[in-house]
Amino acid sequence: MGLMLAYTLIPLIWLAISATKSNQTLFDSPGLWFGDGFHLFDNIRDVFTYDGGIYLRWFGNTLLYSVVGAGGASVIATMGGYALAKFEFAGRRVLSALVIGAISIPASALAVPTYLLFSDMGIVNTPWAVLLPSLASPFGLYLMRVYATEAVPDAMLEAARIDGAGELRIFLTISTRLLAPGFVTVLLFTLVATWNNYFLPLIVLNDPKLFPLTVGLRQWDSLAQGGAGAGAIPILPLVITGSLLAIVPLVVAFLFLQRFWQSGLAAGGVKQ
Amino acid sequence: MSRSPRPSALTRTLTAAGAGALSLVLTACGGGSGASDGGQKADAASVRAALDKPAEITFWTWVPNIEKTVALFEKKYPKVKVHIVNAGRSKDEYTKLTTTLKAGTGAPDVAQIEYFALPQFAISKSLVNLADYGAADLKDKFADSAWSQVSVAGGIYGIPQDTGPMAMFYRKDILDRFGATPPRTWEEFGALAKKIHDADPNVRLTYADPGDAGTSNSLIWDFGGKPYTVNGATDVTIDLKDDPGAKAYADTWGPLIESKLVDSTASWNDEWWKSMASGKYATWLAGAWAPAVLEQNIPQSKGQWSVAPMPGGVSAENGGSSVAVTTQSKNKEASVAFAQWLDSDPEAVKSLNSEVGLFPATKVLLDDPGFRGAEVPFFPGSKPNEVFADMSKAVRPGWQYLPFQVYANSVFKDSVGQALQPGGNLPGALATWEERLKLYGKEQGFTVK
Repeated sequence: MGLMLAYTLIPLIWLAISATKSNQTLFDSPGLWFGDGFHLFDNIRDVFTYDGGIYLRWFGNTLLYSVVGAGGASVIATMGGYALAKFEFAGRRVLSALVIGAISIPASALAVPTYLLFSDMGIVNTPWAVLLPSLASPFGLYLMRVYATEAVPDAMLEAARIDGAGELRIFLTISTRLLAPGFVTVLLFTLVATWNNYFLPLIVLNDPKLFPLTVGLRQWDSLAQGGAGAGAIPILPLVITGSLLAIVPLVVAFLFLQRFWQSGLAAGGVKQ
Repeated sequence: MSRSPRPSALTRTLTAAGAGALSLVLTACGGGSGASDGGQKADAASVRAALDKPAEITFWTWVPNIEKTVALFEKKYPKVKVHIVNAGRSKDEYTKLTTTLKAGTGAPDVAQIEYFALPQFAISKSLVNLADYGAADLKDKFADSAWSQVSVAGGIYGIPQDTGPMAMFYRKDILDRFGATPPRTWEEFGALAKKIHDADPNVRLTYADPGDAGTSNSLIWDFGGKPYTVNGATDVTIDLKDDPGAKAYADTWGPLIESKLVDSTASWNDEWWKSMASGKYATWLAGAWAPAVLEQNIPQSKGQWSVAPMPGGVSAENGGSSVAVTTQSKNKEASVAFAQWLDSDPEAVKSLNSEVGLFPATKVLLDDPGFRGAEVPFFPGSKPNEVFADMSKAVRPGWQYLPFQVYANSVFKDSVGQALQPGGNLPGALATWEERLKLYGKEQGFTVK
């Protein structure tokens, strides 16, 4: 337990402490303790002003890709999972099997075919190229199907139908509330996934103005290390501080969304 | 570029993913469906004339500050507009490039490609053969070691931009402390490693990076090895086990690592920079691109470093890159003209060296007394450029990279990297790497011996 805690926390501590250092002290002070001077605020200012403030733009892009992508993916997964769990229709088993199969394909293996497809559609180097694939979350769909099977009692649905409610109304007024904890779980998963997405945006985007933080920070990193052999630009503190700022929204999202993370809302709602 | 891809934390995690995607594309390319051949040919005069016609060129590069040099071009030829795109360093760019070339759309007109990756793109017919545009005339302008690296499968597939002849960087303060001078032979190198280790266990002569295929390749090259031979577009010979140079490399470095006289550590990370700054390593074997990197990252060690020739007096290239034109380019003549200007115009190469910090590939600068004799404040009292220029002439000829070197370097860590640590068996690991590369080459449709 202590080991696990150290394993998770030490990189974070390193990140937070390193963000207070200048380029030089980064290399001549101990990694897990402060160096000469406290440069955090200088670093933060530099992060937001370097290269015409492009960091803010990347931040906005990441927000857009994550909120629309993860939000959309969660909504689609919830509706799809609910349908697969609660409606009998031809091909349901095949569809479920397909979804499970899709989980096992790593996203990076799909990147190239995805690029080919998007280049035919003419949406390479547009936000759509990042958003569209983010909307599909087979794992989320699978999770919601399993969750909906348990969380939404059939008896409750039948009762609603007998009372004369339409399927849409049942879904919107009853099922969504029961599905909320599952929805939030999927939202958190997909949010983290899209926030950290690197390979797909790297492939499909060329314009630095469209980059999410991951690709943008990596670009800074290559400039800082002197990717060209020579002429390194001393911006490593910006990479580190930028990375620290980049995880703040995720931490906030976790703390905020955790409140909705209660299960068994319908427990005791019907007599089995 | 100037150096072979060094693994950062992120690249490491991505290596698997990247290699997967890349191999997928390469397999697909085997059929030859993705690449269209250059088609038209042009002579040197029409290439020059293209600079006075309106054109737009996209240029993928990750070299910091190169826009300063490109600005000179746009000032001189205002009708040609160059869009610089930072498409990611080294492997990141190659992954993107492979994808866009396969897709038939989205590739840049001009791309920066390191020498080690050039054969891969040349052989898959993704790059314009510059010989069709009169580039053969440029041969005499470039150092032999640079020109030989852009000559692939009988064509010319890039204009050399910078080179990285290997030299030995050393810390004067540390060698003085042990009453030593820079070792001139590999025997002296080994003896000094022992002397330093015996005198102070906290200091090492140097280190070996288990993840850095580029440096190991360069050392094999330096020892006279020619482990990779490419004949035509499909015949490849790989010999890392019995190649005399590879053997000499293993015989020299294996025992040093085994007896811990040389540290075994990953480089290009925070910890390594700290060791470099604090004086844990007495020497660093690296390409001529290194001074600017040292200066930017550990300015506090200014005045302590100096430069000496490689042990043994011969050298190899470590990193370096070229500028190539893709077959997808819609403005081939202007692109070729731009690439030629960027890497061979005297004004441009001077700017690439002084403002961007690239070590030149052109003779005009390598032989320039002003360049050779330049004082570099970071190395007071020495003339590093003179050492580098001499090392450039001392690069052993005849080296070739594999047409799948990007993959080869990405799996280096799992085989040879394991042996670049105490207890490892370096000759055995080279044999394992060879087997793995042969298998992969066959899977990609090469005839491998």
